[in-house]
Amino acid sequence: MSAIHLQGLVKRFGQFTALKTMDLAIADGEFMALLGPSGCGKSTTMNMIAGMERPSEGRILFGNQDVTGLPMGRRGVGFVFQNYAIFTHMTVRQNLSYGLRMMGRPASEVASRTGTMAEMLGLTALLDRPAAGLSVNILQRLAIGRSAVMEPAIFLLDEPLSNVDAAFRAVMRTELKSLQRQFRQTMVYVTHDQLEAMTMADRIAVMDHGVLQQVGTPLEVYNDPVNTFVARFIGAPGMNLLPGRLLQHAGGLCVDLGPLGISAPLPGPLAAAAASAPAEVIYGFRPEEVQLDPAAPLGLPLTVTERIGARSILHLGEGETSVRAVFQSGEPLPEAGLVRFQPAAAAVRLFDAATGRAIRGV
Amino acid sequence: MQRSLPFQLFRYAAIALALAITLVPILWMVSMAFKPFSEWQSAGANLTWIPNAPTLDNFRFLFGDSGSDLIVALDRTAGKPILSSLLSATIGTVIAMTAGTAAAYGLSRFGSGANLPLALIQLRLFPPMAVMIPVMMMWAFLGLMDTWWGLALIYGIVTLPFAFWLMKTFFDDMPKEIEEAALVEGCSRLRVFTRVTLPMMAAPLAAAALFVFILNWSDYLIALLLTTREWVTIPVYMASLSSSMTGQLYGAKAALGLIAAVPPVILGIMIQKHLVRGLTFGALKQ
Repeated sequence: MSAIHLQGLVKRFGQFTALKTMDLAIADGEFMALLGPSGCGKSTTMNMIAGMERPSEGRILFGNQDVTGLPMGRRGVGFVFQNYAIFTHMTVRQNLSYGLRMMGRPASEVASRTGTMAEMLGLTALLDRPAAGLSVNILQRLAIGRSAVMEPAIFLLDEPLSNVDAAFRAVMRTELKSLQRQFRQTMVYVTHDQLEAMTMADRIAVMDHGVLQQVGTPLEVYNDPVNTFVARFIGAPGMNLLPGRLLQHAGGLCVDLGPLGISAPLPGPLAAAAASAPAEVIYGFRPEEVQLDPAAPLGLPLTVTERIGARSILHLGEGETSVRAVFQSGEPLPEAGLVRFQPAAAAVRLFDAATGRAIRGV
Repeated sequence: MQRSLPFQLFRYAAIALALAITLVPILWMVSMAFKPFSEWQSAGANLTWIPNAPTLDNFRFLFGDSGSDLIVALDRTAGKPILSSLLSATIGTVIAMTAGTAAAYGLSRFGSGANLPLALIQLRLFPPMAVMIPVMMMWAFLGLMDTWWGLALIYGIVTLPFAFWLMKTFFDDMPKEIEEAALVEGCSRLRVFTRVTLPMMAAPLAAAALFVFILNWSDYLIALLLTTREWVTIPVYMASLSSSMTGQLYGAKAALGLIAAVPPVILGIMIQKHLVRGLTFGALKQ
């Protein structure tokens, strides 16, 4: 009963439209990440689900119930804020038990549920400490516990890990995922960090400029971006995107990439789809899918080599015609000069240069 | 930072001068309060910083005991004016802080536009005299002249804009997520305000209340216009401390000044913790 349906949701602030017609269905028990750069409308969407803001248009349904006009206290959602919003004039225990006491639960139940949650989050030793002096990491853990102790059917988290330090973030990613597995809540998680979205979410909703770009599993979004924004935004580094022109060459449909040369013939299904597309396209492939080969059709001069522990990133070319290629550190890599390469055939993606939309083979 | 010796000397000289200008009159008042009549009345004869024969005669005199060597007697003692000041300033502060805090919270959270908050300080656009004469007439009509409650009411009204603006700034600075967190847990608005917002605002509330209290406590003009005899306040009463025989009763005035300084100082010490802790809220990474 705690599926979430957003139907034709629009939010305007005066002249500014923060969210343009959002339709999204989140299944019961699903972990959905809203991912996008700042200002993309993900937090606005979240605030409307929580009831902190009224949508300008559209409806919000929890299960079959329309909650669009319901005040936030009556929606039964848990909310974790980016800046914790811990009640600093109370102790850890008072914070954890706040919601239960607010609901008028019997003292014994409040004590036992608070105790269990504190145990789970490793806060037992701190229970009687005032919340004011705690570290940022503990504060966020406490904020998550304060919401989780209510066992809400819908759990909303607004960039909960963006203020904590990197090591703690890794720990919390695992903990949040196991928390969700345990309680089977529907979880909506707003983040601009794709690593968080990719590792925790069942599905990711990628947003930009108030528009929902793509909804899919982390692998779908990674492998088959629907447009160049998603392609560039997902992945670290993002997909290589090169402007080109379709042409018949060497017995197949290829892409003329200007100074780089002409690509290998496109694989069958993609070529079939591209046959009916406009000639101006964007040729895309993941940096991880680059193969070095002296006989390969494409070539660019090496600019910089970045070595990041287990991986090395080759930067080839400059400006519009630049390519990044990721390799494991053990592999022999060129030191300088022209590097010849090609993407793995199955990794090639095409986008319409005019609209940025993916051209997909079946 | 290491600075040159002449600069350091200049710096301390400047500080000493500033301290002398501000502290000397206060020290002089304290000294005078404990001097017997013969010492404070004969100006120029033997000015000393430390009273030669320290005495509490000035205080006794204020409260009705006409003392040993002072031949005049007061027609009223300082007790009632002190009570009047305490009542009117305290109740006035309560009125200003209650109404100001409620208004500031409402406008900070739900208000829009800048006109309404600005309108609240328009009383300050006029010279006090221009406002006070009509107020005097209204108070006379309402039967509030020469009463402590009439004074408390006007103090509450006059200092309300200060309370409002101070509190509005504090509310604007408080992260709204903290309230939203409580709202999401099913807390009502009123309950959020009383259980979450107000306790977290303890420090700013204390600071604003002290500020408003001092404004009320040190008022002279309003009390002079709105009280005549029964409920004059300390400043008005102090101005009347003179006699045809001895002129200004400086010793008694100094003693009364010392008494008047006590409440703000005590309040200041009481809320010092809050003032020092300042107006930052630990919940937010700023």
